[in-house]
Amino acid sequence: MHDRLDISMRANHVFFWILVIVALVFAAFASFSGDVFYLRLATEALILGGLALSIDILLGFTGLLSLGQALYFGIGAYVSALVLREEPSFWLAMGAAGVSVLLAGIAGGLIANRVRGVYFALITFGMAQVVAKVVYNSRELGASDGLIGIPVIEIPLGLITLSAGDPLGFFLLTLVIIALLYSVSAYLLGTPFGRIIIALKANEKRVPYLGYSTWAARMAAYVLAAVIAGLAGALYPMLRGFVSPELLFFATSGDALIMVIVGGAGTLAGAIWGAVILTMLKSVIGSWTEHHLIVIGLIFMSAILFMPKGIVGMLKPFVERNLLRNSARQPKPEPERTAL
Amino acid sequence: MPDLISYLQFVLAPQMLNGLALGVSVILVALGLTIIFGLLDVINMSHGEFYAVGAFGALALSALGFNYWVLIALVPILMIPIGVLTERFLIRRVYDGGDRHVSTLLLTFGLGMIAEDLLKIVFGPNTHRPENPLPGATEVLGVFIPTYRLFLIAIGAVVIVAVALVVYRTRLGAMVRAAAFDRNMAASLGVRVGWVYSGAFAFGVALAGLAGVLLAPIYSVFPTMGHDFILMAFTVVIVGGMGSIWGAVIAGVLLTQIQAISSLVISPVWADPIVFGVMVLVLMFRPQGIFGRIGHA
Repeated sequence: MHDRLDISMRANHVFFWILVIVALVFAAFASFSGDVFYLRLATEALILGGLALSIDILLGFTGLLSLGQALYFGIGAYVSALVLREEPSFWLAMGAAGVSVLLAGIAGGLIANRVRGVYFALITFGMAQVVAKVVYNSRELGASDGLIGIPVIEIPLGLITLSAGDPLGFFLLTLVIIALLYSVSAYLLGTPFGRIIIALKANEKRVPYLGYSTWAARMAAYVLAAVIAGLAGALYPMLRGFVSPELLFFATSGDALIMVIVGGAGTLAGAIWGAVILTMLKSVIGSWTEHHLIVIGLIFMSAILFMPKGIVGMLKPFVERNLLRNSARQPKPEPERTAL
Repeated sequence: MPDLISYLQFVLAPQMLNGLALGVSVILVALGLTIIFGLLDVINMSHGEFYAVGAFGALALSALGFNYWVLIALVPILMIPIGVLTERFLIRRVYDGGDRHVSTLLLTFGLGMIAEDLLKIVFGPNTHRPENPLPGATEVLGVFIPTYRLFLIAIGAVVIVAVALVVYRTRLGAMVRAAAFDRNMAASLGVRVGWVYSGAFAFGVALAGLAGVLLAPIYSVFPTMGHDFILMAFTVVIVGGMGSIWGAVIAGVLLTQIQAISSLVISPVWADPIVFGVMVLVLMFRPQGIFGRIGHA
């Protein structure tokens, strides 16, 4: 079936594949030149890309603006850090972080999904603030210093074992995990249930008339986004060796939101592209001026004013046209089903 | 029993008065926010930066030799053109592009980032401590309270009442409320809605600037001074009801008193999570806040 949503999702895949190819070429160059700094930075960009991806699921597909997605990113990072300090096991840390954000996402969803629109944005903001302030003041969680001294772990991957201290290996592992998170999100949004989520953004009032529960769909999208943000966050302490309360603050949520808008909301791949572009840009600008906020702010505002679909969103129609032309040439495998 | 009385007199009462001074300040900032939201449906994320611009404006102008009491009137007037230009050339452009709440929130968020960095470039990242125009303390009920705080409470109350009178008791205010209630109907009755929008936004910005001038002598002046303050103001606006003036006043007093009194019992650092917790609870059970919004009676 080649309906509009399907073509749109396949166009997203094209942009994601380009990103993967760019990342692999970059990794080859970096390992050839023995670079560490940029590999670490690119790994961080991908991790933040996971957070941006989770915001895009809410903003670009469900039509919900979350101002507190860093909450789940931070919970994932803290749980992972706490586990790694006790037991340096990659899979245990990822599993514990995944379960914790799943539960936190359900709890947060029950609270946040009572309200819509602008109130949803504010309640997500408020929840993240409460948790951030509690963590900031809890000595057990390292208070304002955060948790330091997280060991460099060995990651057993079946045939080979990878060290989180190896910049190239960990970069590739992060790339694989982000690709998995992307694929799972794209797949779920393509299922009939995922299309109810997308229908929420198009017209929430009509969804119940079609016999579907808006609450369940919104809840599912919210929990999915929380888990993705948390799993991405769980990678953070493995990369940097510490976690700090800043990970939970609004600045983190806000940065990720900028990535989504600049990359292109509602394109999945655009969120990760946005994360890569902004992280690199910040590092470049940061090397010659400390006033990077003004440059990022100007880029962000121009994106909203002149390019509201973002970079990927702007380029997407060209790819879609090509995909449509190709699919028109092939014989139709089954009769077209009407879109939801 | 004498212990209780002296506790009330020397511990609780000063704490509540300090809380009230903070409350009045927060209400001044929140009033601008709530008017802008009530009328334009815009969550102004750059409001904290407008507040900082007001404080820095006062700092710069007093360095040029302006008297502090002149600045209280001058800075808000200077903020008005800034507000009008922002509304006309930036915010208005994204009113009709998709979801207005989201697009305007993001735009003002970006604007705030730029304004904050501009302040850092012009004035440097350091903290400034302007001179207190009313040094010394005044005895109230046997306790000494800094005179400037008493002045702040008094002038804050005057400004709040004046704003409420303008919005609820004048022809201008009626036009504003009409535009908030039904934009098209107000326009067809001859209200120049475009100018009402610009004017209301500028008015909100001017109030933020006024708060900046008034608070500069108490709190230090630094480029990110808007951050913490604006969170409290947002909470006040939400709890009071987005767009409600009296709601903002009541919520502002209540929340700052909760903060002031709870810091006597528990460590003050825990007051923040409590206040935000109240905000989340209100959003959960009564998202429209205690009171409704401007123009909706």
